[in-house]
Amino acid sequence: MIGKVLIANRGEIALRVIRTCKALGIKTVAVYSDEDYNSLHVKKADESYHIGKAAPKESYLNQEKIMEAILASGSDAVHPGYGFLSENSDFSKLCEDNKINFIGPSAVSMDLCGDKMRCKAAMFKAKVPTVPGSPDLVKNVDEATKIANEIGYPVLLKSVYGGGGRGIRLVNSDKELQEAYETVTGESIAAFGKSAILVEKFLEKIRHIEYQLARDKHGNAVHIFERECSIQRRNQKLIEQTPSPVVDQKTRDRIGEIAVKAAEAVDYTNLGTAEFLRADNGEFYFIEINARLQVEHPITELVSGLDLVKLQIDIANGEPIPFKQKDLKMNGYAIECRINAEDTFLDFAPSTGPVPDVTIPSGPGVRCDTYLYSGCTVSPFYDSLMAKLCTWGQTFDESRLRMLNALNDFYIQGVETSIPLYKTILKSDEYKNGSLSTDFLKRYGIIDRLTQDIKDDKLSHKDAALAAAVIHSEYFKSRAQSHASSNPLWKDKMW
Amino acid sequence: MPLQTRCGRIRCGDDMEYKIEDIAETFDGQILKSLGNNEYTIKIGPQERHLKIISMDSRGIEFILDQKYHKAKYLEATTSQMNLVVDGTPMKVSMNSKLDEIVYKNSGGGSSTDAQTSLKSQIPGKVVSIGVSEGDSVKKGDVICVLESMKMQVSIKAHKDGTVGKIKIKAGGSVAKNDVLAEIE
Repeated sequence: MIGKVLIANRGEIALRVIRTCKALGIKTVAVYSDEDYNSLHVKKADESYHIGKAAPKESYLNQEKIMEAILASGSDAVHPGYGFLSENSDFSKLCEDNKINFIGPSAVSMDLCGDKMRCKAAMFKAKVPTVPGSPDLVKNVDEATKIANEIGYPVLLKSVYGGGGRGIRLVNSDKELQEAYETVTGESIAAFGKSAILVEKFLEKIRHIEYQLARDKHGNAVHIFERECSIQRRNQKLIEQTPSPVVDQKTRDRIGEIAVKAAEAVDYTNLGTAEFLRADNGEFYFIEINARLQVEHPITELVSGLDLVKLQIDIANGEPIPFKQKDLKMNGYAIECRINAEDTFLDFAPSTGPVPDVTIPSGPGVRCDTYLYSGCTVSPFYDSLMAKLCTWGQTFDESRLRMLNALNDFYIQGVETSIPLYKTILKSDEYKNGSLSTDFLKRYGIIDRLTQDIKDDKLSHKDAALAAAVIHSEYFKSRAQSHASSNPLWKDKMW
Repeated sequence: MPLQTRCGRIRCGDDMEYKIEDIAETFDGQILKSLGNNEYTIKIGPQERHLKIISMDSRGIEFILDQKYHKAKYLEATTSQMNLVVDGTPMKVSMNSKLDEIVYKNSGGGSSTDAQTSLKSQIPGKVVSIGVSEGDSVKKGDVICVLESMKMQVSIKAHKDGTVGKIKIKAGGSVAKNDVLAEIE
């Protein structure tokens, strides 16, 4: 049985894990870099170990240092959180070798999930639908053309070594494909030294819908419903919700079964997430399994009533999942907003620095997972996620309106945040009626609307701003005059 | 210039002009009357409003405007511009300050005694910049230097027409009250 857990992470997720461990009577060990001496996870854990410099490579990614801390503290398990070492099979192997219980999947399963080609092949065998395309690399332009005609245009020509818009082309006909084939090959070789090309069907107006999975060491597997995570910027999720507005109970069961099959296909254990794309015609295509606890797990907790970190620990302890699929009932609606330290108007550039003052929202159906406190610092070395604000409601609109209120109450001084953007999104008709897609921000001109909302917001605060400015300037003018005329009544202090 | 009347701890001020970033209009703002007990009648634009200060310091203010509670933080403030967060919304307010005028009057700028050559500082502060060189000819009211005191910048103006003699200050240096800044002969 797990008695002491080292959390190989920082920020809100370290706090999240510590919270459940404490509730279960499990001892907690934090690790921290030079940058995190003053961070909340260090203060909340039973013990803390310093593991190196600020740069992740020298601390939170330093497997040897973390293993030293695990052994020195006498921890019998490690929780990797998300990011950092959470999907690093070398680390989970290192834990296995040291007889430390890694709270997550086995190294073998993790490896399989991380290898896109092998994973896709495993899914193909298990009859899990993936995005239509070439089953493997195409040998030449003729084979590419043949496959494109089978699946139908438009298709994407993709170099597996591509990324960031390089080595990828959208083509609509044989002629375009033949021209693009040379370009993609050239770009891929120029950037990565080699070319390996895939053909994939191009899907428009797609939604990102994922399933929470749990599978124990005895082979029992369930899904804990879907989450829709379509609102994104640069392929990173901003707002998630459950249930998805386009998933009814029949679809939930049908795709849920496929998700469970996907977990079985890679012999997955513990908690994971099967990610799907949903095309505008309602078809679902598997993309990958995320072999970790997801950032957005709290919304699943809100509608299922489960503590997913507890479930992870139970599964790691070898216990069977204590419920069956039919026992799980979805209750209500939940939304998560990822409160990032970033400037929406500077193309979401990170905004870092001291945070002298914070007000964290609360109230019925409001949950906020955060590392913020008044006087903390947002470090430039790590992820921009400062807080996960989640709300629950009996209806979608109740959760949405609770979120809007909570966003209004959330005050973070010192850094730019994504809060104003979320207010604009949550107020939009498109969000209200569930017209979501991964290009939501661009499709509906959200940034322009945000600019207008900010102006309107200022207008509604005009009188209070002027009153505060009048009092301030008169007060300081009084001071200056007192100095100027050596007013003997003047006492050099404030109110 | 009318005499300032003291009302409570904050004086009833001059009518000043305020502008909020992103809002086209400008607004007049003024404390009209102190009612005691930290309550004031203030003017915002054309309207008279009742304001009660609950608490205030250099970082912020909590007050009730008519029947509504507000909280503002003063992030950065100079005499001409202020960054505030009003009930959670960041705002930038600029104002047309009359402070320069007040200091000018108090430094003798209002009187017609030309005999005095020394231009003295009426306030302690840091020298932000010097606008003239020795030998320059200046007119009464020309800016000689800018001082900063309590985060406010104040332009110090020539108290008479003349030629700049010795400049006794350096940019970046500090001056005490009554220090001679420059001679104007």
